[in-house]
Amino acid sequence: MSDQTGKQLSKEEKDARFEAELLPVLDPLYNFAYRLTLDEDDANDLVQETYLKAYRFFDYFEQGTNAKAWLFRILKNSFINEFRKKSKQPAKVDYSEVEGYYNTDDVEGESGVATTTDMRTESVQDLIGDEVASALNALPVDFRTVIILCDLEGFTYEEMAKILDIPIGTVRSRLHRARNSLKEKLEKYAKSMGYNS
Amino acid sequence: MESKFTEAYPKTPDATREEECLRVSDMLDLMIDGEASTDEQQYFNKHIEECVSCFENHQKQKLLKGLVSGHLKRVIVPHSLVQSIKARIQETL
Ligand SMILES: [Zn+2]
Repeated sequence: MSDQTGKQLSKEEKDARFEAELLPVLDPLYNFAYRLTLDEDDANDLVQETYLKAYRFFDYFEQGTNAKAWLFRILKNSFINEFRKKSKQPAKVDYSEVEGYYNTDDVEGESGVATTTDMRTESVQDLIGDEVASALNALPVDFRTVIILCDLEGFTYEEMAKILDIPIGTVRSRLHRARNSLKEKLEKYAKSMGYNS
Repeated sequence: MESKFTEAYPKTPDATREEECLRVSDMLDLMIDGEASTDEQQYFNKHIEECVSCFENHQKQKLLKGLVSGHLKRVIVPHSLVQSIKARIQETL
């Protein structure tokens, strides 16, 4: 085996760093995988695949750099290269089974839907969460991806550009189109529920 | 095409305002994502203080982002996943 980097780690060091730096990203990584594949088993496989690759290429990961972005990039590439072809299609997901809890952060704005109904009751919160999920899942995967990366995981445009291998300008325009699309789907829902949006 | 119009006719306050609104609407995502520069933020905030429709668009865009960040449920990682990952790594050694 060649040692190009000259800083090959011992197995113990590698395992320790892997556990300390990469495993903590498991939760966001699994959520990202699930939002891409819309299938629990596929998400499981994709995450395992990602960590195996990360372990194999761990010597190329620079300590102190963004482990989360690095793993997201590996997962995205695995999804495109191996997974997308065989990935099952949506529509067979029972959200109530797999989706357990929310971010409890309040919605920032106080206008629009927020003022038209009592947002505090849990059933309304559930409805909104389910509706956001199905609107999002109905988007093309490229649109879904930028919204998840930006709004759910809080990546910067620059980080997103690196994860997706596209210029920042493309990140911006894709995000813009994705949001318009999501807005359209949610407005349809709001109208069907008798809200004026 | 906008610029041709403004070249042919002297700028009216309305035309300037329209251009401002266009520029501000282009900045909406930058603003809600915290990607706008200090100058852009100042320009944006000054404009929405005076422009109701841009103010409302900003509110809507914030609400949309909040719907995803605040209401989309996170899925729970299966308990077995960490063990599977570790086991597979040991296997491949
Ligand atoms: Zn305006």
